Amino acid sequence: MAGQPDLGRADLVSMLAELTAKPVDQVPDRIGSMELAWLVHLVEQRYDRRMELSDDQLAGIRTVDDALAVFHHSLTAPADG
Amino acid sequence: MDDVLFTGRPTDVCLRLPEPVDKATLRRLVSEAQTRLAAAGLRPDGAAALRLPPSLAYVVNLLATWRSGAQAVLLDHRLTDHEVDRALRRLTPQVVVAPVRTGGGALRIFVDVTEGITPYSDRPAGSPHAVIQLSSGSTGPSKVIGRTAEDLVGEVHRYTRIDGVALPGERIILLPSMVHVLGLVGGLLYGLHAGVELVPPERLSGDAILAAVAAQDTPATVLGVPFHIGLLASTTPPGPLPQLKRMTTGGELVPAAVARAFTDRYAVPLGNMYGMTEVGVIGTDLYGANCPAIAPAPGMRVRESDGELWVSCPASPYVGLADPTRWSDGWLHTRDAGTVDPETGLVTVKGRLDSQVSVGGMKVDLTEVEATVAELPGVGAAVVVWDDGITAYVQPDGPLSEETLDKLLAERLAGYKRPRTLHLLDQLPRTTTGKLVRSTAALRDAAS
Repeated sequence: MAGQPDLGRADLVSMLAELTAKPVDQVPDRIGSMELAWLVHLVEQRYDRRMELSDDQLAGIRTVDDALAVFHHSLTAPADG
Repeated sequence: MDDVLFTGRPTDVCLRLPEPVDKATLRRLVSEAQTRLAAAGLRPDGAAALRLPPSLAYVVNLLATWRSGAQAVLLDHRLTDHEVDRALRRLTPQVVVAPVRTGGGALRIFVDVTEGITPYSDRPAGSPHAVIQLSSGSTGPSKVIGRTAEDLVGEVHRYTRIDGVALPGERIILLPSMVHVLGLVGGLLYGLHAGVELVPPERLSGDAILAAVAAQDTPATVLGVPFHIGLLASTTPPGPLPQLKRMTTGGELVPAAVARAFTDRYAVPLGNMYGMTEVGVIGTDLYGANCPAIAPAPGMRVRESDGELWVSCPASPYVGLADPTRWSDGWLHTRDAGTVDPETGLVTVKGRLDSQVSVGGMKVDLTEVEATVAELPGVGAAVVVWDDGITAYVQPDGPLSEETLDKLLAERLAGYKRPRTLHLLDQLPRTTTGKLVRSTAALRDAAS
């Protein structure tokens, strides 16, 4: 995939809203391991590709913004790693 | 133990990781681990604390501990050092088994672990139980729950009599942690006993779960918690999956919309189980026929007392705790609100009567979270409530930032117990007599 993926913060927030059945404006900024697994799953479904993420990358994710940065990095990496 | 768990032929595959592990291999690994545990100081009267993520090392050391005649203390690998130190001081195992190296990549369900064994004490186990598990406690520290070998074997046999569980020769696609009761007894011990292959997906995603189902021709039951239903409901299968027989979840009620999305997509039964760490499986609805009610499992008696569900439990499962409001005269007081239909015996669970909540199937007592927040330096007072997620309202008694609070909590509480939302308030709302207000509406108002 070339260039920046069209994945924004609002996309992640709406994915979390789906998980927690909350309105998007009430989705907490902090995310735990379950929310993170959900986001990875849905982003992979959306782009039909697997993100190669390390334990360290995931461990460093505390917020929606952290997740967005890591996902952008992974999605802009060459698909064959 | 061998009569219950090492049944079947030596060549029978019991685990697929995805490399097959047969009974003979498992038995050899267990025997080698017994030697290592003994060399580190584990005696038949002692306890081994296992602080391992779900892994072959966990399975091997758990079985080796039992074959050594010792007690296994199961510590969730997500607990912090602070939580583990407190548990170890209380339970004084003879050895602690923990990873010295883990690998395998992110979101793994089963982890590659090289374990190390560290001597801890020379004291005998504090109780005659085969397994000790910790449950988030209502008084701050965790509750210590013990189950005897006889009780665990009884639960394994109970599973064999439940219509709708995976049958010998079939597979369980195992998602819940084997440190907790559903994955431990409903997955690992039942699978070993009944000759059901246990298959943890390569990682936690819908695609990986479906790939695990498709990897063999034999019928597969997916065992998980409601979160996993959502994962599958939002995954498009690459093709037909005739192997998928059923999905069964425990831990909490499944939202109707999620259940419908799953059954629409996969057209297989979505079963539900109700159980507790203290007694294991209590009741099931594995065909989804009685939703949201469950039928008591064979041999389990459930009754309603003043709106609370009580479950037959011959001896108190609590170690070092004599609380007649939790267990009395052969009955466990579940603290679940519910009803028992006098005609059919069906049980409907209607939620907690105390401060326990479920986060992805993990039980968390808000009192433990609140006590931990309130004890932090810089915190004057705190109220922790469930507001569609663990939410903490904090009144600082000095300079305190959200970032500092986050950092301090990360040192003291496992991730799944930590508040998702933090509010710092100059003054927490109080009643006219000075008590902290716990109403979510009043707290939201104060924070807005």
